[in-house]
Amino acid sequence: MTYSSAAVSHASLSYNTMIGSPDVVAFTKEDDYGQTNPEPWDLPEEFSIPLHPLADSNPWAKTSYAKFTKDFILISEFSEQVGPQPLLTIPDDPKICGTFDLNYFSLRIMSVDYQASFVGHPPGSGYPRLSFVEDSRVVLGDSKEGAFAYVHHFTLYDLEARGFVRPFCMAYVAADERKIMLQFQELSLRFSQASECLKAGNRRAFAKELQRKLQDLEYTHSVLQREEGLQREAGPQCVYSAHTVEKANELANVEKCIYEHRDLLKQICSYHRRPRRDPQAVTCQKCMTECLNECEMLLDKYAKLAEPVRYLEKGCKGGPGQGQLDDNGDEGEVDEEEDDGVKRRPSYTPQLIKAKSAKCFDKRLKNLRELCEETFYEAAVELLKEAERSFRGDLCYLYTRCLDKSLRRKQTVVNFLFEEELSDDAESETGTLRPFCAVNHSIDNHVHLNPPYIVLGPEALDPSRPLDPLDPVSETTAAQGGELGLGEGHLESSPSDQTLETQESSEETKGSFSSDKSGADQAEKHESLASMISEGPDPDSDLTPEPDQSADLGRESSSEEVETTAGEDESEGQDQTPVSLLEVVSELSERDTGSESKLLVPIDTACCIAQERFLYEAPTPDAVLCLRQNSHPTPSQILVVNQEPHALLPVQDEYTVGSPCPESPVAGLELPVGLLGDAISRTSVEEGSDCTMSASTGSDRAASPLSYGGSLTLRQRKKAAQSALKFVRQYPFALQALWCLLSGRTLVVLGSEEGRVRRLVAALALFLPSPGKCGERIQAWLTCPFTLTDLQRWKLIGLQRVASPVGSSMLYSLSRYSRYISILDVDMKTLRCPPYRGQLLANVADHRTFIRRGSTYFLHVQSTLCRLAAKAFLLTFTHHLHLPVSPAEGPDDVEARRRSFLQEQLGLDEEDGQILLYLSQLIAQQYLQAANSSSFGFNYTSSILYKI
Amino acid sequence: MSSGCPPQSPAVAKSEVAVEGECPLLAATFAYWDNILGPRVRHIWVPKGDQLMFLSDGEVTFLANHTLNGEILRSAECGAVDVKFFVLAEKGVIIVSLIFDGELKGDKNTCALSIILPQTELAFYLPLHTICVERLKHVIRKGRIWMQKGYNIISVLSLEIVPIMELLASMKSHSVPEDIDIKDTVLNDDDIGDSCHEDFLHKAISSHLQTCGCSIVVGSNPDKVNKIVQTLCLFLTPAERKSSRLCRANSSFKYDTGLFVQGLLKDSTGSFVLPFRQVLYSPYPTTHIDIDINTVKQMPPCHEHTYNQRRYMRSELSALWKTDSEEDIPPDTIIHTDETFTPDLNIFQDVTHKDTLVQCFINEVFMLKPGLSLRSSYLAQFLLLLHRKALTLLKYIEDETQKGKKPFRSLRNLKTDLDLTTEGDLNIIMAFAEKLKAGLHSFVFGKSFYTSVQERDALMSF
Repeated sequence: MTYSSAAVSHASLSYNTMIGSPDVVAFTKEDDYGQTNPEPWDLPEEFSIPLHPLADSNPWAKTSYAKFTKDFILISEFSEQVGPQPLLTIPDDPKICGTFDLNYFSLRIMSVDYQASFVGHPPGSGYPRLSFVEDSRVVLGDSKEGAFAYVHHFTLYDLEARGFVRPFCMAYVAADERKIMLQFQELSLRFSQASECLKAGNRRAFAKELQRKLQDLEYTHSVLQREEGLQREAGPQCVYSAHTVEKANELANVEKCIYEHRDLLKQICSYHRRPRRDPQAVTCQKCMTECLNECEMLLDKYAKLAEPVRYLEKGCKGGPGQGQLDDNGDEGEVDEEEDDGVKRRPSYTPQLIKAKSAKCFDKRLKNLRELCEETFYEAAVELLKEAERSFRGDLCYLYTRCLDKSLRRKQTVVNFLFEEELSDDAESETGTLRPFCAVNHSIDNHVHLNPPYIVLGPEALDPSRPLDPLDPVSETTAAQGGELGLGEGHLESSPSDQTLETQESSEETKGSFSSDKSGADQAEKHESLASMISEGPDPDSDLTPEPDQSADLGRESSSEEVETTAGEDESEGQDQTPVSLLEVVSELSERDTGSESKLLVPIDTACCIAQERFLYEAPTPDAVLCLRQNSHPTPSQILVVNQEPHALLPVQDEYTVGSPCPESPVAGLELPVGLLGDAISRTSVEEGSDCTMSASTGSDRAASPLSYGGSLTLRQRKKAAQSALKFVRQYPFALQALWCLLSGRTLVVLGSEEGRVRRLVAALALFLPSPGKCGERIQAWLTCPFTLTDLQRWKLIGLQRVASPVGSSMLYSLSRYSRYISILDVDMKTLRCPPYRGQLLANVADHRTFIRRGSTYFLHVQSTLCRLAAKAFLLTFTHHLHLPVSPAEGPDDVEARRRSFLQEQLGLDEEDGQILLYLSQLIAQQYLQAANSSSFGFNYTSSILYKI
Repeated sequence: MSSGCPPQSPAVAKSEVAVEGECPLLAATFAYWDNILGPRVRHIWVPKGDQLMFLSDGEVTFLANHTLNGEILRSAECGAVDVKFFVLAEKGVIIVSLIFDGELKGDKNTCALSIILPQTELAFYLPLHTICVERLKHVIRKGRIWMQKGYNIISVLSLEIVPIMELLASMKSHSVPEDIDIKDTVLNDDDIGDSCHEDFLHKAISSHLQTCGCSIVVGSNPDKVNKIVQTLCLFLTPAERKSSRLCRANSSFKYDTGLFVQGLLKDSTGSFVLPFRQVLYSPYPTTHIDIDINTVKQMPPCHEHTYNQRRYMRSELSALWKTDSEEDIPPDTIIHTDETFTPDLNIFQDVTHKDTLVQCFINEVFMLKPGLSLRSSYLAQFLLLLHRKALTLLKYIEDETQKGKKPFRSLRNLKTDLDLTTEGDLNIIMAFAEKLKAGLHSFVFGKSFYTSVQERDALMSF
């Protein structure tokens, strides 16, 4: 029977709007609508489809059938003794699995040998053959149970097992089938990685086991040979007793066993030479090469061991359990070789093998840990834990995150404005992931062996770097020299001794700073922010989430685990955003091919900004300050900013010395100011540029500027968004405050209560353009006066209100620079800044918003800022807005055209235009890599005091 | 049976399907669990012609049997179709199996319809997995009815197996690349009206986004068609692009259900025959773009589309149930109706909802100089905005309804809070969100729609 690809066209669409049907067959009846009379002709429901499936009434309910509460990883084994059985789950929490029947599910996923390859004695072969089977991947589901799984089948070798193989599988169990299929490749990659890790450890363990077995056999052989010789000498010649014959047979069996095991050792050593049939397999070239070298070494050694005749000739001293065959010169030489060559410890004592082994069901099979060696097992489990974390949460968040990342890679020119640093991501990726080998690369980092064949990151980790207890790599450092590990000669002792030490030391160093100064700074900054954000709720604070909202946050973590990713117990110090391994792999491959970094989009270098730069940009990069007056900068204005303006506006009453806080008049005095705080602060009045240091020393919690961007976790930023939402809903002038930040006007948050100020600064930092990789543009808590230089450096400042001489100088500085800054008084709940009448920000700072949750508001803010960045990009790179279109045009004409563009094309009024101009200026600076020549602007529009 | 292979015992029927081009599919099989013999292969379909890899009948049978192993434990509900997906590196193949129950010779049996591909085609196949599975699922529904009647299921299954082979072959040669060069699209034009009229381009992209990125582009000039296809694909994700197809220059492909964007060539008479049933079975509503006459039409939004689709499927299955003879398989050309449902054949309607998102984007992107990366960057920013807004909308609804536990009653607030007061903007963002969370349209708009349809049907019956 042959089918042709006949066209199956049915209804014609003429002139693209009409669908005609040649055959309309109506099965109409005269019954009234809705009155269905069951008839024999009616289609039974089991053959139909539901008209209103559950997903229609609740799209979130699709996964509600499942009896487990969240996704988990299950490792199962098909035991030759008890059948399929679950071994462990990740996370190891019985609550997660709930009433889900793990035994039944193990039975289901392990009931088929998907590898289906021959194991055992092939026909015509004298020796048993090891089967090197590739892993199998299966996605299956149990629609009734609402459980779906990606199942990764693999086999490990065990000398005691039937056919020498033990079938295992690792399953990622989820309630959402689509989630598994959409992330199949990523799952496959991660599980392949774990599987390779386990198999590498298993081959090592298997080889050790074989070696031990060979030693046992040789020892047994020598004993038997001696006994047989004695019997032969004792008895009459040419007459053999039954006992002698039995001994001879036994001896022959042992010899056969020796050859068989020798062959097995050869086979396991040839593992790496076999061609891989699995294109998805993840292998580490370094592992392979190391293993190969060790195999060759082992085979050389083994060739000597496997000469039974030589052994016989050597003789043996001592009985069973007395150890090495070292009374012979040759053997001594062997040991010596071993010592020299592979640094092997003579720690194994050969045992006499009994003629009859234990029955199948009597023996105890090794568990997974024993099969794979501790180090490799731990590394694999860590990989699986990491995989579980990275796939946690709803698919829509996982999916959008991937898209988000890939899209941000295409717009690197503006990412610095509001987005996380992608380059930082890459670093963290290489820092936290071990793309190909879970074990050996850590050795590279620690012992500095040969350079890895696969370069995992742009730079190797500093060997002096303190080991991170959360990084499983650290736990496996220096544990082994190669895959088979025979070079160490630890036939009995496990390398976990060293691992333990490493762990301990890493725990000790947890939280401490590395010698690397920048690293310390980063950690310090992060700690500072983390402490600030994770501070407990302040009952007095306006920005403290209300109890019910805290509860909401708790719930929301379940809905957005993917974004927060880290469990509650995870360290806040690490960015827990999961990373796609596929991305890492693709990045690595890009690096491997030597492709150049594409971080900077190859935008027209000959465009306007490169030719003449922007008309409103500072002409010289070394200009310290670029002062804009009504956004019309001229060269003369640039000169103006080189000296501090003397005209001071009168300061409001509340900024006088010791300004009393109505609620807590002495609050300023109660702040935990350090002993040196005042002294250093006083110094810093004179040396304005040292303010940061003084601030750091002045308060133990104000150790450093607020960290931001790459240093902040998503969870922390969502918490900050919750505060921002509260701020927006409670302060009608929030719009003005946000405008100040977005238009480049430094905002000072003044308050007497450190926690409150810090929280508000963290909330407002979400809106600060170009905050810097580590939040360099933000000073979360300053306890001393600031100078004009500081205003250039910081765009958002949390300032302590104190009633002391320092406080007076601080308020003096506030008053002095009030023309350039906006002041948000947390205690008085006032804002002093120029008026804003635009519409661009109305949507993001609407106090009547119905958005309830910080995480939702965070997404909303992200969207809004993304749109602003796009508009700024447009303004920056639209050529005719910056270049004269004819020689007759002067700068004023271009300026007019730009203003016209903002007003007519984009529909923005004056204040909104200032936002885009500021953002555009930042982009231009960034693009021209003149970021250091930062500027701040002001205008002479008088400020207004806003009150609640 | 192909020669050179030992015949199976008893022999397995085999169909060779003539497929134009290189078909990545190695074989399709129908197997069932015989209560006495265990897993048995009943039928094999193989594409005729050159293949990337050869599997003997014995191997095919072995693999097909393998898909049923373990299904002795199956405890699914009657009528459920479970999907199993195998990547067997040892054999170098991918197998997609749909497991279902059906009546054979009076016994309830577990059956498996499988397709087998080389493992090297994994990346090619994965984006098309949902399309294949959904189409096979529906033919299985029909096949189950056929089995229940004691008829031969093979003829029914062939109705979809053959088109899927053709689909995969056509995608092998004409799928849209994952990375589209913007130079191959309208967005590289010097000015907005160079390739096509500004309003047409705006309407096409807007409607394309409102229909979840699902569009058909028809025209007489294949180059022009492909330019628009690639332009529309710029707004899709890489995986969705791999589920899109360019137009073939010499003769048009058939319309294929489930693809995101497909270019179709008009015949010599200047028309293209569009199958009603297949268009209706598309997972998302579709935008119809005719580049010859610059028209853009769109199907109703997701919830209405899904509702129509389900009703039509029920009608089709019902018609099959009522068929009296094995020879009377209702062809796909028949448009089914029943007593409560008469499909609206005029499914493509004018685009009525204007938007500001695409309008602004189109106006602005052409201000940037072409030939550089500027427009690509700006496009990336635009897409980022859309994806983020969609996620925000989804989260907003999730919060308001406690993950669907409560009905959603605050659409007006949502529009205001998220700046989606323009209907077209809301449609676009809802379409993006629908792809993230299937069923969202029905959840948000569903109830009122059912009422209105019921009312309309009631009126029509008078």
